[in-house]
Amino acid sequence: MGRAARFWRSREGALVLPALAFYVLVYLYPLSRIVGWSFFDPDFTLKFYRELLAEPAYFKALRNTLEISVLVTLISLMLGYPLAYLMTTTSARARRVLTVLILVPFWTSILVRTFAWLVILGNNGLVNRALLDLGLVEFPQKLLFNMVGVQVGMVHVLLPFMVFPLYGVMSRIDLNVVRVARSLGAVPRKAFLYVFLPLSLPGVGAGCILVFLLAIGFYVTPALLGGPGQITLATMIDMMINTFLNFGFAATLGVLLLAVVGGIFGLFSGLMGLNRILGAGEGR
Amino acid sequence: MTGARVALWALCTLVMMFLIAPIIVIVITSFNGTPYMDFPPKSLSLRWYANFFSSAHWYDTALLSLRVALLTMVAATVLGTSAAIGIVRGTFPGRRALEAFFISPMVVPIVVVALGFYFLFSRYHLLDTTLGLFLGHTVIATPLVIVMVRAALRTTNPAMELAARSLGADFWRSLRYVTLPSIKATIVAAAAFAFLISFDDVVIAIFVAGPDTTTLPKRMWETIRFEIDPTLTAIASLLTLVAVIVLVGVELMRRGSSERVE
Amino acid sequence: MKRREILKRAGIVAAAAVAGPFFHVRPARADKGDLVVVSWGGDYDQALRDFVFPAFEKATGYTVKLDAPPETAKVKAMVQSGNVSWDVIMTDTPAVQALVKDSLLEPLDYAVIDKAKLGRIPRELQQQYALGQRIYSFNIVYNTNSMPKAKHPRNWAEVWDAKNFPGGRTFNFQGGIAPQLEAALLADGVPVDKLYPLDVERAWRMMDKLKPIVAKWYTSHAQAIQLLSAGEASVGNTIGPRGITAKKAGAPVDVEYNQGKLASDNWCLVKGVRNKKVAMEFINTALDPKMQASIAQKVPYGPSNTGAFEFLSAQDAADLTTSPENIKQQFWWNTDWWSAPGPDGKSPREAQGERFAKWMINS
Repeated sequence: MGRAARFWRSREGALVLPALAFYVLVYLYPLSRIVGWSFFDPDFTLKFYRELLAEPAYFKALRNTLEISVLVTLISLMLGYPLAYLMTTTSARARRVLTVLILVPFWTSILVRTFAWLVILGNNGLVNRALLDLGLVEFPQKLLFNMVGVQVGMVHVLLPFMVFPLYGVMSRIDLNVVRVARSLGAVPRKAFLYVFLPLSLPGVGAGCILVFLLAIGFYVTPALLGGPGQITLATMIDMMINTFLNFGFAATLGVLLLAVVGGIFGLFSGLMGLNRILGAGEGR
Repeated sequence: MTGARVALWALCTLVMMFLIAPIIVIVITSFNGTPYMDFPPKSLSLRWYANFFSSAHWYDTALLSLRVALLTMVAATVLGTSAAIGIVRGTFPGRRALEAFFISPMVVPIVVVALGFYFLFSRYHLLDTTLGLFLGHTVIATPLVIVMVRAALRTTNPAMELAARSLGADFWRSLRYVTLPSIKATIVAAAAFAFLISFDDVVIAIFVAGPDTTTLPKRMWETIRFEIDPTLTAIASLLTLVAVIVLVGVELMRRGSSERVE
Repeated sequence: MKRREILKRAGIVAAAAVAGPFFHVRPARADKGDLVVVSWGGDYDQALRDFVFPAFEKATGYTVKLDAPPETAKVKAMVQSGNVSWDVIMTDTPAVQALVKDSLLEPLDYAVIDKAKLGRIPRELQQQYALGQRIYSFNIVYNTNSMPKAKHPRNWAEVWDAKNFPGGRTFNFQGGIAPQLEAALLADGVPVDKLYPLDVERAWRMMDKLKPIVAKWYTSHAQAIQLLSAGEASVGNTIGPRGITAKKAGAPVDVEYNQGKLASDNWCLVKGVRNKKVAMEFINTALDPKMQASIAQKVPYGPSNTGAFEFLSAQDAADLTTSPENIKQQFWWNTDWWSAPGPDGKSPREAQGERFAKWMINS
């Protein structure tokens, strides 16, 4: 790479400075304090970590958290990819309508949406009434206060976070490449699988990361719409803070979560070449 | 249309119905005549809307939330976009670690972050201030902007910027006329998301806000936790209406420009 | 170009909206004229605003600022950071116990309270760090559509009996006093006067029997009432007064007072409170019997000052959990047993709370 290019690239690196300054001032201090709580009480101690390792319930909560988040990510991907694809390949007008429709629910507070789910998914709710009237089931199906309810509630909130990164990348794919493949004799399905899909992978990566991370932090929806099998680590942290006033242990759980998520990314990075999925670090 | 296309439209229509259904339920419930929420409503009334508009408390909190969200939107977009460009196009060492650092507020459970903010703000008398809320929200909204802008940047070609610069454009001009326009759609989307993250935040508000700075979600959370007030559904419906108006307006404006696919 | 203009104008409007009282920074110690009171929000706050605040403000010249909710974590953070901005809080007894354990409350100055009032308030509600303001109860609350008044569970044993009383149950997972071990023991046939000290293992065996028939472990009492009103649960263990409020609003719910558990919401002072005397004056005002009666008419919680009953009609009184008819069917939650530290320093409140969480997760 030429000297000129290197010079300009280092200049662009300086753009991180405003954000860095902000983060160090407003975020690093509280963050380090939080990590500190897990190690000091007030003298250095590992008692919180010992307590954490001794009790399997916290790891079960962690497992619940990951289960929920992975499932939400997969479902959002399965629903969001076709949606983004449609948006990319349809007329400008239809695209505008779709955009508005996708974003409108976005404005509705999670808290209020939860009530709507009660109405829709409850035993006396719309879905069950329809199923019973149509004779498809004998008795009301349990759609709430279990994984089903949580998935419905969370996917509903997080779908836009999958669709828009996907669309952002897809819209930039040069459709001529696909047309060339077709003109070279590839069937539509193959053209899609071997040309379009790989090109859309950066969007898939970004969407999945976003949804996964956001899902991990959720605790309102699993608490309101889930059952005991959906008690998340975030719920435990909230309980530690608010019911037991045990800031030290809450911080420990927080560090655990951070470590696990960091570990997952490290693993992915190594195994699947995250760089390739997200696009190379050099900006190609 | 081919069979595959029909199937695609069918699937997407189902998804859209899934997205819209709760909204319709909420709007219908907002016209409910009785004080406890049942469905379908046995009587209709506008009382919850009247309640919202006549109650200074709800009105003020909505205005405050709006203000903080607008500020957060601007700050998070500026900080996030610049950070993303710096990370993707920069050459300094430790970029990936820095990136992880920037994204970490999304991973750390928000209730823990909020507690951390409490202590920090308490020290500098930022509690119960708009400024405090704004700072807290910006921290949690910026990572979102970074993730989105970074993905978009990675699909653009740096050769264009090099070309612009070799033609004589300086750093800022190439940024303004080449880099930013190529990711404009993503920046706008990220800004909208940042706005919403701030507007809808409950947890940070619970810790950082106070009697003089009650945000809308905090008030709604109190209401939901301790009593369920149908005024919430009226508020939610109003917000939806505003969203529809704004979005439709933005799209209509876009029609005037000759931009491609964005 | 037209679009640029529109954007510009929108930008100006947005800027104007943003430039509001932005940098309003509250001084760390409030001005002399302020008292910050923290309560649970909603209708009760409105009642306080309507009745107590004007009287207090007129008498002392101080302005009252209301905040909600009284999150205990915030109190702890406040005291630990040395920046106390809350003066008086109203919260439930488990929260009081948690706060006292970490030395986060200021002892109350009973000298400021009128002797006449204290004489009419039950002695159990007059503690060093907490003074009862209102009395609530955990009752059997049921949906009248699926469990008509003629055939509804009349005691906890019947609530545990899903065969004769089918339908989903709802009990609290979080929300003050948890787990509901007393109800479990009563369901197993333990007589009320032999409840304490609680036979914990026996109670947990009953909880195991309850688990399969619970439709939802609610996280807030408002949610419980919502579930019961909507028929998603047929019977639950939740706050009776809330059930009454819903019933008055037309919801198909009703309250059974038999074997109910009484507890209090209390006034407390945050440690480091700015003006203790004024804060106690406020509490004194709130305990006025006539004041409490007016509040009870709006929000059906039992007034701590039993003198309030003289100002209530028989009909209003009948709705309250502490009316003579209702109170005799219920027992008091034993705060001493629940807060006594065990050999490892943990009180039953903490130990059973933790056990509850683990029990729930490991299901």
